[in-house]
Amino acid sequence: MSSKINSNNNNNHRINGQISLQPCTHLADFRSRHRSNPFRALQDCLRIKPPGGRAAIRRDPSEVPLCGVCGDSGGGRTRLYACVSCAAVHCHAPPGGGPSHAAAHAESARGGHEIAVDVDRAELFCCACRDQVYDRDFDSAVVLAQTAASTLHAPPHSVTTPTTIRLPQPENLRKRRRIDYRPWTPDPRERSLMGSSSSPLNGTVSDSDSNSDSRSNDLLPWGLRGLNNLGNTCFMNSVLQALLHTPPLRNYFLSDRHNRFYCQKKSNCNGNGNGDGIVNRRNASNNERNNNSRMCLACDMDAMFSAVFSRDRKPYSPAKFLYSWWQHAANLASYEQQDAHEFFISMLDGIHEKVEKERRKPHSQGNGDCCIAHRVFSGILRSDVMCMTCGFTSTTYDPCVDISLDLEPNQGGSAKMASTKSNHASNGEVDCLNSSQNSGISTLMGCLDRFTRPERLGTDQKFFCQQCQVRQESLKQMSIRKLPLVSCFHIKRFEHSSTRKMSRKVDRYLQFPFSLDMAPYLSSSILRRRFGNRIFPFDGDEPEASNELSSEFELFAVVTHTGKLDAGHYVTYLRLSNQWYKCDDAWITQVNENIVRAAQGYMMFYVQKMLYYKASEKQVAA
Amino acid sequence: MRPSVNRPPTPDVQENQEKEPTLQETINIKLIESGEKERLMELLRERLVECGWKDEMKAICRAFIKKKGRNNVTVDDLVHVITPKGRASVPDSIKAELLQRIRKFLVSAAL
Repeated sequence: MSSKINSNNNNNHRINGQISLQPCTHLADFRSRHRSNPFRALQDCLRIKPPGGRAAIRRDPSEVPLCGVCGDSGGGRTRLYACVSCAAVHCHAPPGGGPSHAAAHAESARGGHEIAVDVDRAELFCCACRDQVYDRDFDSAVVLAQTAASTLHAPPHSVTTPTTIRLPQPENLRKRRRIDYRPWTPDPRERSLMGSSSSPLNGTVSDSDSNSDSRSNDLLPWGLRGLNNLGNTCFMNSVLQALLHTPPLRNYFLSDRHNRFYCQKKSNCNGNGNGDGIVNRRNASNNERNNNSRMCLACDMDAMFSAVFSRDRKPYSPAKFLYSWWQHAANLASYEQQDAHEFFISMLDGIHEKVEKERRKPHSQGNGDCCIAHRVFSGILRSDVMCMTCGFTSTTYDPCVDISLDLEPNQGGSAKMASTKSNHASNGEVDCLNSSQNSGISTLMGCLDRFTRPERLGTDQKFFCQQCQVRQESLKQMSIRKLPLVSCFHIKRFEHSSTRKMSRKVDRYLQFPFSLDMAPYLSSSILRRRFGNRIFPFDGDEPEASNELSSEFELFAVVTHTGKLDAGHYVTYLRLSNQWYKCDDAWITQVNENIVRAAQGYMMFYVQKMLYYKASEKQVAA
Repeated sequence: MRPSVNRPPTPDVQENQEKEPTLQETINIKLIESGEKERLMELLRERLVECGWKDEMKAICRAFIKKKGRNNVTVDDLVHVITPKGRASVPDSIKAELLQRIRKFLVSAAL
């Protein structure tokens, strides 16, 4: 937010052309008059209610601030501001909302008294511009004080004292780079190059089909092809259908980024070549390695993409893929029913592992540049654990390829549920939330709210506080530090109760939106809720992660499960060109979106809105 | 440097002691001193988020900023625009819950 500049003061500075950081002239004046440390007096008055409370401005903790003119305590229609120059407290209301004694004070003092601080929020305000203003030094001081609040009355080995709250000296203005999207159309040279060195995907297959077949083919979008059930493999087919239509994954394979012919040659050279000597030397181990190197899930994916997008509509049998996956996950190799989510994790892992072997370079999973699976699916979760005694917070970052969500506890009130969710039941906040949400049905947003809600860890799972040097009760909060390109939400419908040694399936309905904004669950939002509106870089890294554009997601696939825990059936609903299709193994039918909304979702696949091309899907088909 | 800078940012309480505080003011001060006001505000904040009130206000602000251009809007403008709508659209159930809490507090404080 930028501040309005009075017309008589027209020397507005621009820092690196960033309008958002352009200071109000009054704030700039104030800073230049008090060069050394303009907010020194304020820092001693920062009060934070530990642990993790909001910052407020009070001279002493029990003080009740009142407006110097009217004696208002800021409870009703006004806000209270303390002038940062002379410390006078005044109330302020927007024009039409009553008198503003703060603005009157700024005017009567003839300059220098425009900047004030909100006593309850510790945020700066310019009474002349009548707008919020932001100052890096002030904001970072508040955040530091908030994080160090507890340290002040902590054991003596902590070195932080009120006077040593240091301000980061350089105004590290990071320029945000953004590249505009420009649609690409081939120029004549590129067009001829494409024509001469590639063969069109639709060969003669559709022509050889019967007429009625080819006509219906043309109506359907590309890539819709049933997958044969190879013996209880609907768990695999359902996930594969979702993956085959994951926009970034589809683009990767269809643009020949992983060519199975090239890949096989390479692994043959590396693996056995024709070197008899190697084979003789390490016979058994080399055989194993041969098998491994020949097994490449990404190659099988590539083959599958070619087959599925070949315009042949006859159901395809992913037998080779299944065989490769069995080699990768030997413990799951059987014709029994498996969990679709387990398969999803296992096959992403398989693609990742293969790439790692090829490059022989350790890659951290979190930054997502290691392999296509993680580039598309991996995000980073942030978990803050705060000690309830001293307020010390330890933060950890964990890579994830999906987010597993608990269904909200049953409002209908089955006693069984309450017992299985014992660690949540101890959380008072969750309980009061439930009472307020009695009426509603569970929603995906509700699950995400619960996921990012501060959760009190019970007495049985105390966490070792580095500052107290003992195990303490703590408050844990999850948030999403980096969003993946494709978010996969897994709903924990299969419940395992350790006390009863029993598993069961939760059949409750969960509402999920077709468009989802993930912004409230990002670390930046969670931290903003904790610290207030500041321009201090909380995460210590670039703000791109909280880019508003990329927090909007569109649903494109839902994997549903019907039946019981040990026997059931998986079906995938796909959204292509804004039309829904039901993929039930070999059969694909067009369905109404209400059927999808009513389905019992087990895994939901959302893609970043900028990657979800509604219109371009049609172009490809044409 | 001006000497006034080193003065504390809040006025002396004694200055305002001359006039007798009204009942409303007394209650307000009691609420603040006991920390109940903080808890009430936290509760209210949570309830307003839950019922969608906050999203509604956010949408109004966004629409207003879009209309005016993002460089021509101040916090005061926004407060002015959303205040009437915001006050009118707080669900009665939340008002009742808060009133109940305040009543309970007054009873316990009077004892």
